[in-house]
Amino acid sequence: MTVKFKEFEHIISEQFRTEEAFLAEYQKGDYSFSNPYVKLNPYLIAPLTALIMFKTPEPTDVTITVKGKETAGDITFEIKTATEHMIPVYGLYADYANQVELVLTNGEKTVVTIQTEAAPDSVKLPSKIETTPEYFGDNMMFVSPTSPASTAAYDYKGDARWYGTLNTAFDIKRVKNGRLLLGTHRLVTPPYHVTGLYEMGMIGKIYKEYRLPSGYHHDQFEMEDGNILILTQDLPRGTVEDMCVLVDRKTGQILKSWDYQKVLPQNVAGSGSHSSHDWFHNNAVWYDKKTNSLTLSGRHQDAIINLDYETGALNWVIGDPQGWPQELVDKYFFTPVGDGEFDWQYEQHACVVLPDGDIFVFDNGHWRSKVKENYVAAKDNFSRGVRYRIDTERMEIEQVWQYGKERGAEFFSTYICNVEYYAEGHYLVHSGGIGYLNGEPSNRPPVQYTGKDKENTIFNSITVELKDDVVMYEMQIPANYYRAEKLKLYCAEDVLTLGKGELLGTLGVTEEFLTIPPAEEAGLVPQLYNVKIGLEEDRVIFKATFEKGQMVLLQFEGDTTQSYFVPTTKRPFLAMCVGTFLESDDRAVEFPVSREGLTGEFKITLIIDENKFETGLTVQL
Amino acid sequence: MAVAVREINGVELEQLIAEGKVLADFYSKVCGPCKMLSFVLNDVAKNVDNVEIVKLDFDENKETVEKYGVVGYPTLILFNNGQEVERLKGLQQKPIIQRMIER
Repeated sequence: MTVKFKEFEHIISEQFRTEEAFLAEYQKGDYSFSNPYVKLNPYLIAPLTALIMFKTPEPTDVTITVKGKETAGDITFEIKTATEHMIPVYGLYADYANQVELVLTNGEKTVVTIQTEAAPDSVKLPSKIETTPEYFGDNMMFVSPTSPASTAAYDYKGDARWYGTLNTAFDIKRVKNGRLLLGTHRLVTPPYHVTGLYEMGMIGKIYKEYRLPSGYHHDQFEMEDGNILILTQDLPRGTVEDMCVLVDRKTGQILKSWDYQKVLPQNVAGSGSHSSHDWFHNNAVWYDKKTNSLTLSGRHQDAIINLDYETGALNWVIGDPQGWPQELVDKYFFTPVGDGEFDWQYEQHACVVLPDGDIFVFDNGHWRSKVKENYVAAKDNFSRGVRYRIDTERMEIEQVWQYGKERGAEFFSTYICNVEYYAEGHYLVHSGGIGYLNGEPSNRPPVQYTGKDKENTIFNSITVELKDDVVMYEMQIPANYYRAEKLKLYCAEDVLTLGKGELLGTLGVTEEFLTIPPAEEAGLVPQLYNVKIGLEEDRVIFKATFEKGQMVLLQFEGDTTQSYFVPTTKRPFLAMCVGTFLESDDRAVEFPVSREGLTGEFKITLIIDENKFETGLTVQL
Repeated sequence: MAVAVREINGVELEQLIAEGKVLADFYSKVCGPCKMLSFVLNDVAKNVDNVEIVKLDFDENKETVEKYGVVGYPTLILFNNGQEVERLKGLQQKPIIQRMIER
């Protein structure tokens, strides 16, 4: 057979099987406080975590201290009273004999040594870290990659104290139950739309996957009642990143949706990266309870829009009005006021609504004009965190704070990035998409470069925290990171819960192609196409290598035949927000088919140009 | 009810669109979706009337491509009495093209 076939488990199933195995191992042994059971990386995807288990005759609290390489690096956490103890260990160093101290309420103490393996090269080392342990404490700076690198968390000294091995993407947010919400590593459509969100404990256990029919991208927001706003799209209509949905936290079902095509014209006021396919490029969502509205960032119209939560009606637009129809400008746009400096934002990311109603944004400034003739080159450009004050009665806007402009091209990111608000005057500004091509600041997202250009590309990411305009923290890492998020590893609400995680929502039915071209029977598919087919619980994943321009149809032949068009021509992506899913061979194709709607026995065949090939595979779905 | 799909050049397109309904497919020989769209158009042609369905090679009709602002392939443009009435970019399914023609 010329086709490689593999059945593999969803990570939730794999983790459950692993959990049952280590629990069985623990039950078989005679473990105690002085001789505890230790499982390193218990859920397979977070190598700098461990689980310590033991019983005590009487209920007791346990204080755990993961010892730092110096005292300031100690991480201490108290776990509440129990007799059956499951103590999560976070903040281990890679390639190190870590000392973990456990102390009971009665003062009894034991020290466990946990030896870890070296981290892979994808866990990048910071090239610069400037802060103090007094300021940063036991916080970690989490970063999620867009260039080849790992999601990782760094302490005050720049040591990685947590990293993940799954290619998770986009935003990382801690939600009210203490767990993290982050994009799955399962691709729906290139270059980076993934099946949905994982809800994961810091130990790496995935409790839920929230799946969406057209996938997830960029951002999510937990509502007060726990339901989640998720950015998505409706792929069959041929556009991307122009919808938001509200997902039920318990069932994963879509409760409500907002379609920006209903409120905005698609072919006006395009930014330098605009295309009709990705006309808005929604990269952030924020719900504001005071105004019961959604604020959404649209990179490809250089616009931050605000929609009424109930009706979806447009309330206002922050952005350079040039190129917009006058009737929209008159009704929805702001006029700059104030004596201070003012710049509009361009190709911005991460809109945050502050407690006083101000809008805090990462202004990438990519091209920094609506008019091609006035585009500003990267070497003369800047990116910044900027805080705007808006008056929605008078439709006036004032720039009240910024950081980054003064750093010029050194801080310039064509894409990605974020800002965070901690308190008045206390901010994070993360410029995570810095790139240099042949030593010059890059005019394009550096992950887009291929071939020789790729070899001559240098990545950088600068994360800064400021308190009353004093830089309190700066980290630089030689990679690109979508967002930076400061979190503590331990969180009282993030309690390890045993049992199998849940797959919620649906991937929907993959759109069939209705026209079947004529083709000659040509036997088994040749080796040169390097066809691989994977069978997962909810998807069939087709991978192969084709030359540009080949016409490919994947067919499932059973009682009925389902056919799927497999794109082989790369779309010229103007917004490669996450490059971590890109194959090194640009002829490589990955096409997942949802198993929903496919029941029975199917022979898998391929039409490649004028030939029809057998794969030799029959699968039971 | 059926029409034939035929290949024309930019000059012929100018003459053809002056009157009636014309669906023009700007395609490339090195594009998988274009190859597939050509089969879809053959399929569509069997079920429609009162429309000319024509194909123009993107690389051999640069002036026409520029005149109509075609920026990628495949691109379908529907003309009615000389005016562009609708444009679809990328590979499309048969019902969408049929609806476009019948509107």
